[in-house]
Amino acid sequence: MSESAVSLKTPAELARVPLVTNKRSFAWISDNVSTICEERSRLWWWALFIPLSIIAMIGLFCIGYQISNGVGVWGENHPNGWAWDITNFVFWIGIGHAGTLISAILFLTRQKWRTSINRAAEAMTLFAVVCAGIFPGIHVGRVWMAWFLAPIPNANGIWPNFRSPLLWDVFAVSTYFTVSVLFWYTGLVPDLATLRDRAKSRVARYIYGIFALGWRGSNRHWRHYEMAYLLLAGLSTPLVLSVHSVVSFDFATSILPGWHTTIFPPYFVAGAIFGGFAMVLTILLPARLIYPQLDDLITRQHVDKMAKIILLTGSIVGYAYMMELFIAWYSGNQYEKFTFFSARLGLHNSGWYSWAYFCMMTCNVLSPQVFWSKKMRGNYIVVFIICQFVNAGMWFERFVIIVTSLAQDFLPSSWGHYTPSWVEIWTFIGTFGIFLSLFLLFMKFLPMVAMSEVKIVLPEADPHFHPESPDSHAKEGAH
Amino acid sequence: MKRILHHPEAPKTGKQYWRSLGQARNTPEFQGWLEREFPQGAAEFKGGEVSRRNFLQLMGASMALAGLSFAGCRRPEKHLIPFTRGVEWSIPGKALFFTTSMPTRRGYMPLVAETHDGRPTKIEGNPLHPASKGATDAWAQTSILDLYDPDRSRFFKLKGETKTAQNFEKALDELIAGAGDGAGLAFLLESNPSPTRERLRGEIEKKFPKAMWAVYEPLGSDASNEAAKAAFGEGMEVVPQLEKADVILSLDADFLGVAATVAEQRAFATRRKADGENKMNRLYVVENRFTVTGGMADHRLRIPVSQIGLVAQELAAEIFSQTKDDGLGRVVGSPLKATAKARQEWVKITAEDLVANKGKSLVLAGSRLPAGVQALVFAINAALGNLGKTLIGRKSVSKPAASIAEVARGLSDKSLTSIIIVGGNPAYNAAVDLDFAAKLKTAANVVRVGAYEDETSDVATWQVPLAHYLESWGDGFCMDGSHVSVQPMILPLYAGWSELDVLAKFAGLKKPEGPELVQETFRQLVKPNDFVAVWAKFLHDGFVMGEAPKAEALAISSDAVGKLASQIPPPNLDVDSYEVVLVGDFKVDDGRYANNGWLQELPDPITKLTWDNAALISPATARKLGVEDGARVELSVENRTLDLPVLIAPGHAENSVSISLGYGRTKAGRVGTVGQTSEGFVTDREMISGGFNGYSLRTSQSPYYLTGAKIKVTGKTYRLAVTQEHGTLEGRGPDLTREATLDEFKAEPAFAKTMGMDGHNPPNASLYSHPPLNDIHQWGMTVDLNTCIGCSACMVACQSENNIPIVGKRQVIEGREMHWIRTDRYFAMMDEHDEEPEMVSQPMMCQQCENAPCETVCPVNATVHSEDGLNVMAYNRCIGTRYCANNCPFKVRRFNFFDYNQRKIAKLRDWNLTSEKGTEDTIKMSKNPNVTVRMRGVMEKCTFCVQRVQEAKIAAKVAIRDGGEARIPADAFTSACAQVCPTGAIVFGDKANKDSRLSKLLEDERGYRLLEYLNLNQRVWYLARIRNPNPKMPGAEKSGKAIKGSPNGHHHHPPAGEKTEAANSVPHGGPANVRIRSLS
Repeated sequence: MSESAVSLKTPAELARVPLVTNKRSFAWISDNVSTICEERSRLWWWALFIPLSIIAMIGLFCIGYQISNGVGVWGENHPNGWAWDITNFVFWIGIGHAGTLISAILFLTRQKWRTSINRAAEAMTLFAVVCAGIFPGIHVGRVWMAWFLAPIPNANGIWPNFRSPLLWDVFAVSTYFTVSVLFWYTGLVPDLATLRDRAKSRVARYIYGIFALGWRGSNRHWRHYEMAYLLLAGLSTPLVLSVHSVVSFDFATSILPGWHTTIFPPYFVAGAIFGGFAMVLTILLPARLIYPQLDDLITRQHVDKMAKIILLTGSIVGYAYMMELFIAWYSGNQYEKFTFFSARLGLHNSGWYSWAYFCMMTCNVLSPQVFWSKKMRGNYIVVFIICQFVNAGMWFERFVIIVTSLAQDFLPSSWGHYTPSWVEIWTFIGTFGIFLSLFLLFMKFLPMVAMSEVKIVLPEADPHFHPESPDSHAKEGAH
Repeated sequence: MKRILHHPEAPKTGKQYWRSLGQARNTPEFQGWLEREFPQGAAEFKGGEVSRRNFLQLMGASMALAGLSFAGCRRPEKHLIPFTRGVEWSIPGKALFFTTSMPTRRGYMPLVAETHDGRPTKIEGNPLHPASKGATDAWAQTSILDLYDPDRSRFFKLKGETKTAQNFEKALDELIAGAGDGAGLAFLLESNPSPTRERLRGEIEKKFPKAMWAVYEPLGSDASNEAAKAAFGEGMEVVPQLEKADVILSLDADFLGVAATVAEQRAFATRRKADGENKMNRLYVVENRFTVTGGMADHRLRIPVSQIGLVAQELAAEIFSQTKDDGLGRVVGSPLKATAKARQEWVKITAEDLVANKGKSLVLAGSRLPAGVQALVFAINAALGNLGKTLIGRKSVSKPAASIAEVARGLSDKSLTSIIIVGGNPAYNAAVDLDFAAKLKTAANVVRVGAYEDETSDVATWQVPLAHYLESWGDGFCMDGSHVSVQPMILPLYAGWSELDVLAKFAGLKKPEGPELVQETFRQLVKPNDFVAVWAKFLHDGFVMGEAPKAEALAISSDAVGKLASQIPPPNLDVDSYEVVLVGDFKVDDGRYANNGWLQELPDPITKLTWDNAALISPATARKLGVEDGARVELSVENRTLDLPVLIAPGHAENSVSISLGYGRTKAGRVGTVGQTSEGFVTDREMISGGFNGYSLRTSQSPYYLTGAKIKVTGKTYRLAVTQEHGTLEGRGPDLTREATLDEFKAEPAFAKTMGMDGHNPPNASLYSHPPLNDIHQWGMTVDLNTCIGCSACMVACQSENNIPIVGKRQVIEGREMHWIRTDRYFAMMDEHDEEPEMVSQPMMCQQCENAPCETVCPVNATVHSEDGLNVMAYNRCIGTRYCANNCPFKVRRFNFFDYNQRKIAKLRDWNLTSEKGTEDTIKMSKNPNVTVRMRGVMEKCTFCVQRVQEAKIAAKVAIRDGGEARIPADAFTSACAQVCPTGAIVFGDKANKDSRLSKLLEDERGYRLLEYLNLNQRVWYLARIRNPNPKMPGAEKSGKAIKGSPNGHHHHPPAGEKTEAANSVPHGGPANVRIRSLS
C-alpha cells in the first residue's frame, strides 16, 4: 500500500502550484481576512474614501442638474442621440461581467483558483451594474415617466413595446443584477457568520448576525448552501452570456451602418469579459499592495491566469474588429464601407472620430499582446498598466460604435459633430467615484475574500489530505 | 347703454344658411332678438339676490362699457365683435378663414388667414387668386409671428417718454394745422402699391401742395425704374412672363430667391416640369454667388458682379452680330475690349440659344444692377423680339416720388422741418453718405410710425406704434396688377395706427374706424352697381374676380437706352482688390424681419447659416487669404470698414465678397439686436447673434456693389451657426439626389429606378408579414426635385402650423434645431479642385416608412403606425430615449433637449427649479390650438399634419351623416408644406384615391425612394431632377455628372442582357466628392 502510495505521488515538477501559498491554515485565513473589516480604518482608507465620495457627489449633482434642466445640458444633439450616456452604460455593464463569470462559470467548470478573487469580483460586478444602471435611467428625456418601461397594467391600456431592444435591456440588466445580488449574498452567508462570531461590539454582532441568517455551519446548512450556490451558479451562467448579448442587440437590431452587425453578441460578450477582468485586476492589484496578507491568497498564479484571459478575449475582440472590416468591404454596401473605412479608419479624409478608433485598436488589440510573455504577466506594474489600457480601450470601443456611426450616417446633410459637455464628463467621472466608494465600503464592512470557499480549496480540506512531510504522514496515520 | 351688434353678413358665395325662418325672412322680431344678446330675463337678477360673483361680473361689464378699463378702450364700435359674445359663423374649436393680403415692395400678396377664436394663427395663400394659388413665401408665413411679437412698439412716445394716443392725436392735429401749404413737410414712406394710399396722397397734395412725398426702399428697384423710364417712358413697369420663356438668361436676377414673388416662382416651375405638356425651359445664370436661381441653372457663369455689365455688353454685341437688330445696333456702340476667351464662348453660345428662341427667350437683369445694364438688357430683349411676349409692360400704380437723398438734402438746407416716417428704418438703412440719422435729429418734428422702437425711433420726436397688416384695413395691387383687399383679423394689439390712419389725418379726414377709406377707393376704382354685394365679395374672395389687368404696349427708345448704356461703369479687373456685393437677405430682407425668430433660425437656402450674416467668399479666395469659416476679416472700402466673419461659399466668384444686408441691428428687439438675446446682453460668445451691418459700407452712388475693397485678416474668430455641417454628397448622389439631363430622360424615362444601389440590389423580401394598413385613406407625398428651388418656405410653414419652437443660436451650433422639415442642400463637384459645383436642394421630412425603423425600437410604444399609413407620435407616452432618432436613416426626428417653449433661450442652462418659466402671452396666441405644444424630453417629428388629416376625416364623417363611406374627397386638404410650396414641388395626398394628384404623380417614371435597400417602404417619393443643358456649351457633358457619381457618367439602365453584370458590380464612390466644409 505504501508502495502504491509512493508510485501515485505526483512528481515535484508536475505538482500543482498551491492555490494558497505559504501553507496557510484555516485560522490564518479567518484572522487575516476578517481583520480587514475589524481593524480601525487605516488612514489610506479615509484618504481614498473622502475624495472619491466627493467625486461621487459631484456626479450625483450633475445627474440632478441634468434631470432638472433636460438632456440639453449634455452635448448630445441631432444626429448624435446617444453618446457618452450609452457609452458609459455599456462600459460599466461590460465591467460587470467578470464577477459573475468568475463566480458562476468558473465554479461550474471547477476552476478552484476562482475562490480567492470571486468575492471582490462579484462585488465589483454589482457596483459596476449600479453605475451602469444610472445611465439608461437618466439618459431619457422624462425620467419621471421611466416607469412606462415596466409592464404594469395601467389605465392607459398601453404595454411596453416588447419588440424594442431597449426593453429587453431593462429586463436583462435588472434580472442580471437581481441574480448577481442573490448569488453574492448566498456566498457571503458563511463568512458573515464568521464575522458575527468574531465580532467584539454588540452592534456589529447584531447586524452581521441578522445577515448571517442564523448560520451555524451544520451539515444541513452546508448541504442547502451548496445546492443553492450550485443552482444560482447555473442560473447566472446563461445570464453572463445573455446580458451583454442583449445589450449588443440595442445596436445589432438597428439599421444604422456600424450598428447593424450580426457579430455583435459574441463580440460584446468577449469584450465584456476582457474589460471585466481588466477592472478586477485594476482593483485587486492595489488591494494586494495595501493588504500584504492577501499575497498568499491572491497569488501570482491568479494574476497570470487573468492576464491570459485578457489576452484571449482581447484577441477575440481583435478578430471581431477585423471581421467587421472584412464584412463591410465584402458587403459592397457603400454606407457600411463608409462607416468602417472612412468614418472609423479615416480613409478619404472623412473620419471625424478616427482618432478614437485608433485609440480603441491600440488599447484593445495591441496592448494585451504583451501578455504572450510570461515575464510580463508576472510583472504587476506591467499588468496594471495594460489593464488601464484595456479599460480605456473598452470605453473607446463603445464610443466608436455609438458616435462614429451616428455622427456620419446615411444622409451627409444630417451629419453632425458631437462634443461632450462638462456635465457629461463629470457624470462619468462621478460614476467612478460611486463605484470606488462603494468598493471601499465593501472592503471596510464585508470580507473581500470568500473565506469559507478558500478554506475548501486548501489541501487540509481534502478528506484524503496527505501532508508531504513525514510528520504529517505520521499525523495522518494516527488519524 | 344698449349696444347694437351688427349681424355679420352671410358669405355671398356658396350656400346660404340661416338658423331660423325669422332670419331667413329677416323679421323685426328676429332683429330685436339679435339685438338682445340674451334671451328674455337671462341678464336680470333672480329674486333680487346679488351674489358676489355676478355682482363682480356686472361691475366689470359696466366698467368696460363706461370705457374705464383698458379693455373698454379697445371695445370696438363697428363690425369687430368681442369674442365674449357668440358670433355667428364662429364655432368654438373650428377655424375661420378670411382673405387678406400682405404688402410687399413688389406688390401685395393675396392671402387667407386662419383664425381661431378671433386670433389669426396661420397664413395661407389665397387659392382663388392667380398670383398665389394657395402658395406663399417664407415672409408671409412668418408675418404671423411678427404680429404677436412682444417686442413690437407698444406705446406712443414723445422723445422716449410714454404718452397717450390722445396726446399724439392732439400733437398731430397741431402739426397739421401749422403745416400751411406743406412747405417744410415731407412724408418718407415705404413702397406700397395701394390705391387708397395713392388717393390719400392726392388729397394731401391738394391740401399741402408743397409737401414732399418720398419713398425709400433699401432693396428697391430705383435702377430698373430709371432704366424702364428711359427705355419705355414715364410710369411704365416691365413684368417678365416666365411661363412663356423657353430660354432664360439671368444677369444676377435672383428671380426665384430674394427678389421672387410666388407667381414668378410658379411660372418658372410650370416650365421646368418634365411632364411633356410644356417644353422644358433652359436657364442660364450669371452671378457672383450661388443664389436660389443659380442653383436651378442649367449653365452658370461665376463672375464678380462688377463684371456683369461687361457680360451684358458682350452679350449685346454678340446678339447684335447675330440678329443685326437696328435698335440694338444703336445701343451697342463702341467695340469691346477682348476679355477672357472661355467667357466669350459662354456668352456666344448663350446668345445663339437666345437668338434661336426669339420671342420665347428672356433676359433678366438684377434690379439693382446699374441702370445702364438694365437698359441694355431691355434693348437685348427688344432685339430678341421678347417685348410684349415674355416681357410685358404695365402702367405703374404709384406716381413717382422723391428719393431719400432729396429728403436728406432738404434736412441739410433746413427746407424740411417736419418729417413723417411711416414704416421703414432709414436711420439704420440709409446710405452712409447721407448721414441720415444725424440729419433727422436736426429736424423740428419727426413723427415716426413704426412697428418697432428701432434705430429711427431713437432720432424721432414721436414714435407711434404701426398697426400690422393683420390689424388694419387696406387695399393694394399685386404684381400682376390685380386689386386685392386687406382686412383686419384682430384689433391692433398695441393700439397701433396704420399708414392709412396717419395719411387720412393729413388728408383732413377723421382717423378711420373701419373700412370706410378703402370702401371709398373701391367705389371710385371698381364703380360697382351693387356696392354692398360687390364689396362683400371683394372681402370674401380677397379680390374682384375676372378683372384681369391689361398689358401695355412697350416701345423702346433706343437712343435713351444707348445713352444710359454708355454710362455702364467699367469692370473691376484688379486681382489684388475685392468687390463687395451687398445683397438682400433671404431671411431678414432689408432688416425689417430681424426680430423674427422663425426667420433668424431659418437656414439660408444656400449657406445654411442662421442667426447671422457673414462675408461669403469663394474657396479659392479663402485659400488665398488663409482663412477658414468664422475667421474675422476687416473689409475696407474707401474710408469705411466692416469687421465680420467669413463663410466659405462654394460656387462663389473669386475676388468678390457677398454680404447680406439687414443684420447688425443695434436696436431691433430681443431677437434681432446684435449681442442681445431674449434677456438682455449676454457674455456667452456663442449666444451673440445678429450679424454685421452691411449698410455701413453702402453709399447712395453704389448701393449694390463696391469695388476696390481691401481685406485684412484680423486673426479673431466668430462662431457661426450653420445647420448643415457637411455639404457634399460623398458619392451618394445616385442614391440620394438622382438626376439626369433632358436627353437622358427622354431616352430612358425610368432612369431613376435603376440608379445607385437600386441598380444592383435584389428586390427586398421580408421575413415576416406586416400588419395590414387597411384604412380607406393611405397618405403619401411626392417631392419633385425638378421644381424644388430650395426656397425653404415649407420649413417656416411647418413651423407655424406645428408650433415648432426656435432654439437660439447656441442650440443651433450644438445641432439641436427643431425643424420638422429641412431643406438639404448639396454641392456636387467633380473633384476637390472643382470650382464650379452644381447645387441641389432636397426637402427632407419624415418619410412615414411603412416598416418604420423608429417604431420597433421605441420601448414604450410612443411611436406607432396608424392604419392610414402615418408614423404617429404620442407625445404623452414618449419618455425620450432618442432610440427612434438614432435608428432613423433620414435623421428627421427632433428631440426637445430643453423646455424650449417654457424657458428663455439664453437661460436654458440655468437651474430649472429656480428659473423663470413661461412664454409671452402674445406668443401663446400665435400657436395652432390643434397641435400640442411639446414639453422637454419628448421626441417630435413631421406628422404629415395629422391635425389636418383628422379635421378632414371629421368633416367627411359629418358630411355622410348616418351612413356611407366617410371618404375624404381627393385633394380636399393638404399638408402645410405642400400648401405653401410656391412651385408645387411638394404634393401630399391619398394614394389610395385614384383621383388624387398624388396617385397620378406616383405613376411618374422619375419617382424613387431613398435607401430602398433598407426595405422601409416609405410614403415619400422623390421625383428625380432633370437638367436641360445646352449640348453646345463646353462642359455640358459634365452636367449632373458629379451627382450621378461616376466619372464615366454611368448609371445603370439595365437592359435584359446587362443585368448580370449590373448585379455583380459594386457601386464605386465615383468622383472624389471631398469634404469641402465642416464646422467643428
